[in-house]
Amino acid sequence: MPLLLLPAALLVCVMMMAPMVLLFRYSLNLYSPTQLMVEALSPANYLNAVRDPYYRDVLGTTLWVALLCTLLALAAGFPAGYALARMRGRWKAWLTLLTIFPLMVGNVVRAAGWMTLLGNTGMLNAALRGLGLVGEPVQIMYTTGAVVIGIVTVVLPYMILTLASVIESIPRSVEEAAANMGARPFTVFRRVVFPLSLPGVVAGSALVFILCMNAYATPVLLGGSQFKMMAPAVYDQFVRTTNWPFGAALAFILLFVTLGLTMAGSALLQRRYRG
Amino acid sequence: MNIWDATFWRTLVWRGGVGAVFAVVLLPMVAVVWLSFFNQEIASFPPDGYTWRWYVNAWDQKQFARGFINSLQLAAIATVIGVTAGTAAAVALVRGRFPGRTALSGLLLGPLAVPGVVLGTGLYVFFVQIDNAIDFQIVATLPGLIAAHVLLTIPWTVRLVSASLLGVTASVEEAAANLGARPFTVFRRVTLPMMRAGVVAAALFSFIQSFENLELTLLLVGPGRSTLPVEMLNYLNFRVDPTLAAVAAVQIVLIGALMLITDRFVSLSKVVS
Repeated sequence: MPLLLLPAALLVCVMMMAPMVLLFRYSLNLYSPTQLMVEALSPANYLNAVRDPYYRDVLGTTLWVALLCTLLALAAGFPAGYALARMRGRWKAWLTLLTIFPLMVGNVVRAAGWMTLLGNTGMLNAALRGLGLVGEPVQIMYTTGAVVIGIVTVVLPYMILTLASVIESIPRSVEEAAANMGARPFTVFRRVVFPLSLPGVVAGSALVFILCMNAYATPVLLGGSQFKMMAPAVYDQFVRTTNWPFGAALAFILLFVTLGLTMAGSALLQRRYRG
Repeated sequence: MNIWDATFWRTLVWRGGVGAVFAVVLLPMVAVVWLSFFNQEIASFPPDGYTWRWYVNAWDQKQFARGFINSLQLAAIATVIGVTAGTAAAVALVRGRFPGRTALSGLLLGPLAVPGVVLGTGLYVFFVQIDNAIDFQIVATLPGLIAAHVLLTIPWTVRLVSASLLGVTASVEEAAANLGARPFTVFRRVTLPMMRAGVVAAALFSFIQSFENLELTLLLVGPGRSTLPVEMLNYLNFRVDPTLAAVAAVQIVLIGALMLITDRFVSLSKVVS
């Protein structure tokens, strides 16, 4: 039996573990403009990244965009996930398909869709002008707003599906009991449904936060060249500046910050609502 | 339906809000399909008229036609390799009794947990290192891309096939074995048919994951050996127009069709949750 595991396990070991170990090793090397990379065991790249105001700024932007997108996705995903969980029969099957479908369509295609909607001659500006609300086109593309809209819609299906699968397991009778005892709908949500769906809230937010932190196509296409998040900054080090050790260090800073914050956030949320 | 009743308005706001969330997620895809039929060459609203010609134009653009074929080929090969290896692993993980199964299943699901940026740059430096060590090119070749994409297909396969195997009890297999079937016969005649739904779903998800992948692919492509998402990204850095919208629309329709076909075999709403 264990022999059946060998091909897959070997593949993942070689193709995932080895590259990650190598990338981490590179992050401790030093960069030289003539030789590109000098062997070393130095934390210099990490220290430079943290000290450099430019990269501090990039990390800061990434963090607050990711946090904002996670909160927006949670706010919009909760009602949608609840509605999906409480649906029955054919409608539910169709709506689930409609939720999975955008996940399957790549981020580049979806960013292209937002570009057609948000551009200066795009659908939204045409509609605003048609209604006489604005005279000049409003600049939406290449702003933080465009990136936030793009990322939120990319991650929303994950949030909806995660929340729906947890909410499904909450018996309806619990809500009915609260309502019968006189709780208003919002109170039922705040005191009953939300606390019971907390595992879904934590899992969904963690998953979505990780995806937001690592977003690549959406910030590149909707944010333009002036807008920088971590993932595009990492690739730039490999493609444009060929400073691999520094790029490797940036990649691991992104990985560690994301994991650290995700674990801290989950622990905090769970502790807060357990008592 | 009494419009003076508060419940009516509450229901209306609730349904409208939920509908709006789903609409916003689907909106960009509707917009890009619509744009692909616009008569004018610049992406501006409203349309002058409608035409099919951008689809022909897109196919005439070498980078899109070649990218499309490359992506199809890459996704097909990666799926065959990944689903085979992943299915075998899933059978061993679910039916086997040996130590370290939890750790191994964690390892096999790992590629889903590692961010694409880290894995993508890691694979690139790894391949360059091998290129230099043995003087054999891997970066910007099909084998290199296949190796990277198989990594995407294994976790999906392990997850979906394991789920379908957990749904059926092992006693059916034991019954077949007790009646004298050899292990391979048990697998072919009993286990395989029972997990068919999971394997079909795994193949579909793997194919699409590979076809649409950008992050792992970005650094591994080379001249003439690029994939459709990378070609689209390069094009979109300059502009969005009906030709690109046609390329996007073809993918949207292709993926939609694949999902509907699979849904006839396996209920996707059950597979995912």
